[in-house]
Amino acid sequence: MSDFSVIGKRVPRVDAREKATGAARYTDDLSLPGMLHGRLLRSPVAHARIAAIDTSRARALPGVAAVITGEDLPFVKYGNWRLVPATQDETALARGRVRFIGEEVAAVAAADRDTAEEALALIRVEYEDLPAVFDVDAAMAEGAPALHEETPGNVSVTRKIAFGDVDGELARCDYVREDTFELPAVSPAYLEPCASLAVADGQGRITLTTSTQTPYIVQCLLASALGLRENEVRVVKPALGGGFGGKMELRPWDVCAAFLARRLGRPVKFTLTREEELVAGRRRHAVRIWSRVGFSRDGVLRAKDCRAALDGGAYNSMGPTATFLIGNFGAFLYRFPAYRYEGLHVYTNKAPAGAMRGLGAPQALFVTESQMNMAAEDLGLDPIELRLKNAMRAGDRIPDIATVSTCAFSECLEDVARASDWKNKRSAAGGSGRGVGIGCYSFITGGVFNWFDTQYPFSAAEVRAHADGTVHLLTMAADIGQGSDTVLAQILAEELGIAVNDVTLTTADTAMTPPADVGTWGSRVTLMAGNAVLAAAKQIKEELFKMVSLKYGLNVIHEMECRDGAVRAKGRPDRAIPFGEAVGMWQKANRGEPLVGRGSYTPRDMGLVTPTFSFGAQVVEVEIDRDTGRVRVEKVHTSHDCGRVLNPMAVEGQVEGCIQMGLGYALTEELVTREGRTLTASFLDYKMPGALDMPECVLSSIEAPEPRGPFGAKETGEGPVSPTAPAIADAVWHATGVRCRSLPITPEKILDGRDAIERDLNKIRRVTKGTNTKR
Amino acid sequence: MTAARFEFHSPGSLAEALDVLAGGGNAVVLAGGTDLVPKLRKGTLRPDAVVSLARVAELRGIAFDPAAGLSIGAMARHAEVLEHADVRKHYPALAEALSQLATVQVRNMGTIAGNLCNASPCADSAPVLLALDARLAIAGPAGNRELELSEFFRGPGRTALAPGELVTAIRAPAPRAHAGCAFRSISARSRVDMSAVSAAARIGVEGGRIAEARIVLGAVAPVPLRALSAEKILRGRSPEPGLLAEAGQAAAEESRPVSDVRASAAWRRKMVAVLVARAVAQAFERAGR
Repeated sequence: MSDFSVIGKRVPRVDAREKATGAARYTDDLSLPGMLHGRLLRSPVAHARIAAIDTSRARALPGVAAVITGEDLPFVKYGNWRLVPATQDETALARGRVRFIGEEVAAVAAADRDTAEEALALIRVEYEDLPAVFDVDAAMAEGAPALHEETPGNVSVTRKIAFGDVDGELARCDYVREDTFELPAVSPAYLEPCASLAVADGQGRITLTTSTQTPYIVQCLLASALGLRENEVRVVKPALGGGFGGKMELRPWDVCAAFLARRLGRPVKFTLTREEELVAGRRRHAVRIWSRVGFSRDGVLRAKDCRAALDGGAYNSMGPTATFLIGNFGAFLYRFPAYRYEGLHVYTNKAPAGAMRGLGAPQALFVTESQMNMAAEDLGLDPIELRLKNAMRAGDRIPDIATVSTCAFSECLEDVARASDWKNKRSAAGGSGRGVGIGCYSFITGGVFNWFDTQYPFSAAEVRAHADGTVHLLTMAADIGQGSDTVLAQILAEELGIAVNDVTLTTADTAMTPPADVGTWGSRVTLMAGNAVLAAAKQIKEELFKMVSLKYGLNVIHEMECRDGAVRAKGRPDRAIPFGEAVGMWQKANRGEPLVGRGSYTPRDMGLVTPTFSFGAQVVEVEIDRDTGRVRVEKVHTSHDCGRVLNPMAVEGQVEGCIQMGLGYALTEELVTREGRTLTASFLDYKMPGALDMPECVLSSIEAPEPRGPFGAKETGEGPVSPTAPAIADAVWHATGVRCRSLPITPEKILDGRDAIERDLNKIRRVTKGTNTKR
Repeated sequence: MTAARFEFHSPGSLAEALDVLAGGGNAVVLAGGTDLVPKLRKGTLRPDAVVSLARVAELRGIAFDPAAGLSIGAMARHAEVLEHADVRKHYPALAEALSQLATVQVRNMGTIAGNLCNASPCADSAPVLLALDARLAIAGPAGNRELELSEFFRGPGRTALAPGELVTAIRAPAPRAHAGCAFRSISARSRVDMSAVSAAARIGVEGGRIAEARIVLGAVAPVPLRALSAEKILRGRSPEPGLLAEAGQAAAEESRPVSDVRASAAWRRKMVAVLVARAVAQAFERAGR
């Protein structure tokens, strides 16, 4: 069945040339006649009432076109969880109160960026300090100040998942372990800082070109924030330099650019700096997770009881989803007969956390995988054997929430053990400074739950077939660098039997592409937009089959195919009409109408979470400098089940990108704040691994086609971000004896951990010595 | 903060440059710009005038003479110095320190003189040059003078340069026989990073024993720090592991690191011990060759 012409091939990206030559245009590259430059004034204090704002001096500065504050904008609270309006807690500019350092307070539009910057310095804001809370304990403490009046106690979201008899099972377990893990906030650190450019037409309709993963969400929320109708706002996504979850919401600069463009009748552009991104940008939730897990003597999992407190920062953002997914993935990878989770999303006076690659899974799986490795040690079992005893299989269910459609997790475990020579390397003496460790993962392939409350399909596509042999694909799906334009073109080309370069794309423009697509997040695009493209392509095919079947007397159900650029009898290249010619025949028979196919996809009857989950296992090899505690990750073996691989190069790129992020999460990255002030406000101090830090990455794909995915595909862009940190933590233990329950694993933690072990050993030696003497 | 606004001068000779600087006001010198330009853009530095040395031919070039030693012009870029054949041959530790400094782009633009004048406690060029007993040639309104590099640093961002003065060259003595120099640094990331701790060692050997020792530490005090007690421990002995650890420990005790977002003081101190031991071992090995 792997008899494909385009699917599964190493097809270069359709945008490779523009990206490689620098010709690709990102939002900040765009400039329009009369365009003004916007800048944002940000709060220097963590929590305060705004007593007064005086913008008169800024407005008087030559070159300044306008200065606006929260009072100028319509008072509309927005947020992605449109289905639950109570969660929508943000305004573009602060109104009466600021809740974190970096919160947007005022906006300036000026003739150039420097003038806008100067104007910011002339705005006088009187702040009256309020007591602030900087961690979840302080925020939940008795008498803590409430960040939002509607949320006394500061817990904005509580999510619970429970099934089975947790207490009874734990009481009967032979082995129970309990650990608390602390995971840090980290930055998505997309290389293109956020930017948006707004143009208003004569009737005040807006065209917003913006660095977003979700044009449709921005369109809807921007319209509501400005009091416009949805289709009076057009959102266009140009080339994007990554998003990783951090660009999937309406943001203040979108609102300010559009508002100012309408008011001034001139285009307005905002571009953020890296410092703004690191101080105030979206981030992965810092979280504390307590987890108690029980096994029978032979290593069979019986139950898990866990709680999470997410440090949400000052607003909800994607926190409600993160709070749920930590619980969902807490129940994952293994078969838990009983499971209980309670997650709290807590407001603190810090920049809001949002979505970031893996949303919830990196945190939940660090806990699960670390506990599996520690349990294996205590039970005297090989960690891979322990996993194989408990691994999820196709058909497994999280009651009322999710069903695992396809799953090659066990095969991945067996494969990665073979590929990495696990048995030999793991049995080599630990403590030598070299170590191997394992971590595993799963992730969703798109979300089912309609939190945005859209009335449209989740994905849609339109395909226009032309008599010149080309086809035009229109879809709102947003390529943010992950390569969806290429994969969607491949899916279309395969289905229609044409070449990838026969496909022209118009994507991610809310005025030009069929409504709608809820955007690039949750690893949903290949499956959902891919299925929509397939559905549209099938309509085209059906029409063309009718034409060609007449000519050769073929049965359209059994005897026809689109292949090698022709519509033809199956396996009979002599009974074939070239694709474009067949389109021409169809047009002649249909009054010259263009041949257009439309398709859409919305998952149904697939639980609350996703149509299907990816799975995988990863083994890392590390070398640790025993004097300095520095960890060098040398090799990473990944075996994964992403269904059918549609483009090996795209999959390898995603997995390697995930490993880079996992490496940073494990070893070097952390947004450090003190009393709400960010200490890691540049790439000098926010330490992402660079190309030179990358280990050798070895990937093997266990292809288990997923019936729900286009040509059998599942996700690959987010799952592999989770295993690297727990695998490195395990390898560090193997090499040094030190177990880290917090990230990042700094050289200092390793040296301190080793000193502690040394002290314990000395204590034991002294005690043993004492015993011997007595004898 | 808003970007600085200033007058820009691009003199064609050293004399002209000194004239502009003597004009008073608060003028700053622009060499490679890798430290200065970000400060100007952010507005943390707001000079009246910026004096570019790009057109001053006298400040370019690197010269080596077996007797007189090495002279590095103030406008020589890191990359030029570290790729220079004589530097690689006679001052390998300097080439190593520069090859680890920042990024390719910064090494192609930045100058050693600028790195020293910026007077960051973690400047990667300083410890090796101090260990080599480097001197600075300085020109100013009162004429030319030479200054020991060890007299140059006064605190973070502060140097011994008087108003109107600029560094014209960095001079290192001729390589000595039976001597070796080495540099070690460490940071959270393996490459492309600022040093959290660094150490340079120069060892002179006579009859298998350490006759002369220079140990200089970076990023563990307000200025690059000479570890005198470690030097004392080393002198007259042969470098077996016990001695290296002892010297490292002594240097660690002499260091005065701070805790910041890059590393804690306690870890920095431990790293001083490790890096000093490693640098001394390599310097000794080089001295023997």
